[in-house]
Amino acid sequence: MKQAILKATVALALLSCKRDLEAPVPSLAWEEFTSAAAVRLPGSTLQRIEGVYTLEQGTEDFGTLAPAKWSYTVNGTDTLYQLSFFLEKQSAYIICEGRRLDSSILLNGYWRRMVNTETGRIRLTIAKEAGAGSLLNGATASTSVVIAGVYGFGETVPDIPIRLRYSQPLFNATPFQILAHRCGGRTADLLPASENSVEMTKLAARFGATGIETDVQLTKDGVPVVYHDATLNERLIQKNGLVGPVKNYTYAQLYALVRLTNGEHIPTLREILTTVLYNTPLQFVWLDSKYPESIAIERQIQAEFMQKAAAMGRQLEIVIGIPGEEVMTAFKQLPNYQSVPSLVEYSPEEASAVHARVWAPDWTLGLQNEAVAAQQAQGRRVFTWTVDIPENVQRYMREGRFNGILSNFPSMTAYYYYARQ
Amino acid sequence: MQDNKKFFLVSLLLLCLFQVYGQEQFSSQPTKRSQYSWVATFSGGAGYYVSNKGTPALLSRKISNLSHVTTFRLMWFPDHLLHVGLETGHLTFYTYSFRDSVNTEGVVKLKAIPVLIEWSMAVTKRLNLFAGSGVYFLTTNLDYRGKATSNKLSIGWMAAGSYIVPLSANLGLGTELKWMNASEASNGILSLQAQLVWKFLNW
Repeated sequence: MKQAILKATVALALLSCKRDLEAPVPSLAWEEFTSAAAVRLPGSTLQRIEGVYTLEQGTEDFGTLAPAKWSYTVNGTDTLYQLSFFLEKQSAYIICEGRRLDSSILLNGYWRRMVNTETGRIRLTIAKEAGAGSLLNGATASTSVVIAGVYGFGETVPDIPIRLRYSQPLFNATPFQILAHRCGGRTADLLPASENSVEMTKLAARFGATGIETDVQLTKDGVPVVYHDATLNERLIQKNGLVGPVKNYTYAQLYALVRLTNGEHIPTLREILTTVLYNTPLQFVWLDSKYPESIAIERQIQAEFMQKAAAMGRQLEIVIGIPGEEVMTAFKQLPNYQSVPSLVEYSPEEASAVHARVWAPDWTLGLQNEAVAAQQAQGRRVFTWTVDIPENVQRYMREGRFNGILSNFPSMTAYYYYARQ
Repeated sequence: MQDNKKFFLVSLLLLCLFQVYGQEQFSSQPTKRSQYSWVATFSGGAGYYVSNKGTPALLSRKISNLSHVTTFRLMWFPDHLLHVGLETGHLTFYTYSFRDSVNTEGVVKLKAIPVLIEWSMAVTKRLNLFAGSGVYFLTTNLDYRGKATSNKLSIGWMAAGSYIVPLSANLGLGTELKWMNASEASNGILSLQAQLVWKFLNW
């Protein structure tokens, strides 16, 4: 009896221990890929590889279809081009960089499942005779393009075969915004950067996002910063002795003392928009206004960055999110508020009243096809949030009429959108 | 100052005499059926902050993890071994000073006021074990490029063991080893306190 109690106590103690989950990006070392003879591929070549691929090997881990989409990140004077594959099984994705080696194309990267912590290396090759020759000479992908290679789990050397064959172009018949929550994804999902950070914003397009949602609040000295929670807490930041609301501290104090989970500082709204504009191909930013006090300065910054984007000939839309009546009251204090690009989350009537560009109902309210159609008839787009379950994304795309979906897993939305027939 | 010292020593002597000559001595365990009492405990001592310190690694900093822990506890002693009550007080989890890259100095203090419901078991007449849960009102005091005070409520818990030496029927002197933990920011402090225990109401 005593032994049983002791065993139960020990088991309880062990099970009570907090497990620190991690999903680190594995090492991408590949001698062939980093050899002097391997030359970086330009974005235009990766763009020609875009399309929906059918998996001929590797289906047990990744499913049968893999839409591939290219993106870029500008880092100073350097531009890094990536090719992402969005996979059917367990919201997985692959992110690769590309190089040319002789007449072959090498794709080196990692894969990750969003439903758990599984990740691993992947090394792919398009041989000259498997389509690389024509791709490198300016042709777009066709059914003769075959990508073959190996993948592994964790840091193990990849040795499981994978083979993908081009089957069709990416679906783009109806324009659609794939929006990533909190600048790209949540800290809780163990991504390589913290939510609502500059670094996460740079990753968003690789995850398949065409736009981001971000959370705006003011510091004590009136600086608009991007941070989701009402208070500083260890869900989002490293321990530092600071507790309570962000608005109790000045920006200088937060900048000096607060680091997000992965070591980044809490960014200003200007930093995020600068990153979106100059470093990424993102086209849409949804400013989720946490408190009414930030509306006036959000409007100034929104106008400034939309002007900058227009001057660059860059397609970028920034909307002020109105989650409820309190923020709506503050929004209506803005001069010419009906011409301010906005997104209303709650009532379609209010969306019409303020001439919002977007009405964004919660997904739990259902498809609402009639209400959605009525809003679209007024020239308004309709996005829904925050859809994270694959079956729901699939259903909302198949049966709904939405113009965009906000998700914590943009790679999953990208899969269901681009793989459509 | 001298007078205070004399007063303290005389008081202590009197208390000891009470203990020696008293008819009945303070006990954490019931001495008879249907005897109930309220017991107040005044504790003060030092705490050592044992949790991960959590200071910004990029700054030059100096951490102080020794601090005061002052608490007050009110317990109901029924005629059995299990007691229940409330504890509150004031403590500083930790303090650190730092200097940024342009030599501007700053100080962070993380303080707390616990409000905990506690259960205790009188293991012997003198030895008690405590466990409790409740809330901690956390306060950050920051002095760096201006002052900031910020509060947050955290759930938390405590566990302790105390040993009480009786001074009279209603008074005891004790020492308590106590772990106090505010879950919100993984803040835990181990304290050693001296305490005065007073059974101020019996019926």
